Amino acid sequence: MSENSRLKFYCDEQRCIECDGCSVACAEAHELPVGISRRKVVTMNEGIQGLEYSLSIACMHCTDAPCEQVCPTDCFYIREDGIVLHDKDKCIGCAYCLYACPFGAPQFPQDGAFGSKGVMDKCTMCAGGPDDTNSHHERELYGQNRIAEGKVPVCAAMCSTKALLVGDAQEISNIYRERVLSVGHGPKTQPYGWDTAYGAGSKV
Amino acid sequence: MKNKYILFIILSLSTLAFGANADSAIWGDSLITDILGYDKKDSLHLGYLFTLLQSTYFKPLFFGVLFGVPAVFLLHYMVIGPMIFSHDRKKIYVFTLFNRIIHSIAGVAFTILIPTGLVIMFASTFGGGAFVIFCKEIHAISTLLFIVSIVPMFFMWVRWMFVHWDDFKWMMILGGYLNKDKKPVPAGRFNAGQKMWFWLATLGGFVMIATGAVMYYQDFKLEFVASFGLSQIDFLRASAIVHNILGMGVLALFLTHIYMSVFAIKGAIHSIITGYKEEEEVEILHSSFYKELKEKNKI
Repeated sequence: MSENSRLKFYCDEQRCIECDGCSVACAEAHELPVGISRRKVVTMNEGIQGLEYSLSIACMHCTDAPCEQVCPTDCFYIREDGIVLHDKDKCIGCAYCLYACPFGAPQFPQDGAFGSKGVMDKCTMCAGGPDDTNSHHERELYGQNRIAEGKVPVCAAMCSTKALLVGDAQEISNIYRERVLSVGHGPKTQPYGWDTAYGAGSKV
Repeated sequence: MKNKYILFIILSLSTLAFGANADSAIWGDSLITDILGYDKKDSLHLGYLFTLLQSTYFKPLFFGVLFGVPAVFLLHYMVIGPMIFSHDRKKIYVFTLFNRIIHSIAGVAFTILIPTGLVIMFASTFGGGAFVIFCKEIHAISTLLFIVSIVPMFFMWVRWMFVHWDDFKWMMILGGYLNKDKKPVPAGRFNAGQKMWFWLATLGGFVMIATGAVMYYQDFKLEFVASFGLSQIDFLRASAIVHNILGMGVLALFLTHIYMSVFAIKGAIHSIITGYKEEEEVEILHSSFYKELKEKNKI
């Protein structure tokens, strides 16, 4: 597969208005349990004029994903298009993936009487899991599989300012370059989080 | 007035939206600094370190200890063989009933904790899922047994566990296990090996319980942890690293403890069941203790 089919997330901090719509859309689309939000909007430098900006953050579907490397059950797998998924039927909820993750993406719903952690839940880039595509089991465990239906992940699809983009890395890079040029905000060479998620060489 | 109500509604709605885990020590406010700080210059690099250790070193090292230590003992058993002491002489009372009860609780705890811990470590071999989750819960529950045993164990034996000159001499000859000569081995009531195991099992055990509990409860805030400038996620990472490294030591010495009591010294295990040790065993393996008993006319 060529680099062209590598899917990446990009959130434009110049456009994000902290409406939290992506997070709500995600939770609704996948019918997430209370206490789980696969996507979050965070605000940096809150209250500092000129420096404040917001970003929408979820699993970045990293290249050489650290979660996949540390999992004792080997329940992670990385699709050819770069989407990092995991098998909830194998996951034991040990949270090692959380310790390895630079973005705090893995979360654990409460499970059982003693409030112990259930199996891990995270953003699937709306690509479901290892079960039969669009099967009842897949939908129960991972939510919608919009990618299989040819749809854009719900968070990016509903982003009102088109701050949050997801798609083919080349396409995203083109849009990023275009936006940087037109707005002219400084010497940035890549979006926030990209050096950590996709490697220092992932310059646009 | 109207604006006030609107503002109030907006604010309460926004707490609902963010309320999911706004109080969380991991996914709450600290998430931002955790993300920005990940593997940056002035961070502790614990995320990177944990990823490196868990992805590359822990599994092979555990595998090495799990099979390497018994392999060395098998070789020892075949080449040098077990020590056999006379069971016809007198017996010396060394472990009280209280000692033995506490020891058996700890023994049961260890025989549950160690295999279940290994199942978690090698979860992929067992296919993950329900079986490993079951072992993980058992691992957590049996910790309660461990807690009730190590506290009294620490206090009932600690007075004999401090380092003594005998221990250095014992170390130099590896406890006399490299030959079958019945020369007196320098050791008091407990030899240097037993002392190491004692400290690892009690103080090390305490650290194992603490780090295990941190990982089990995961999302909580402790003021004193924060006062060290340690974020909750780094606290979890450090706990996982310490738990695994100490666990390796516990596994190695646990296997040694079993080999010594069951195989290396014939019949030694009976002392922790009946309380009595063979006189010759004490005379040779705990020679300083034996001399002390002689001087006090206790034998």
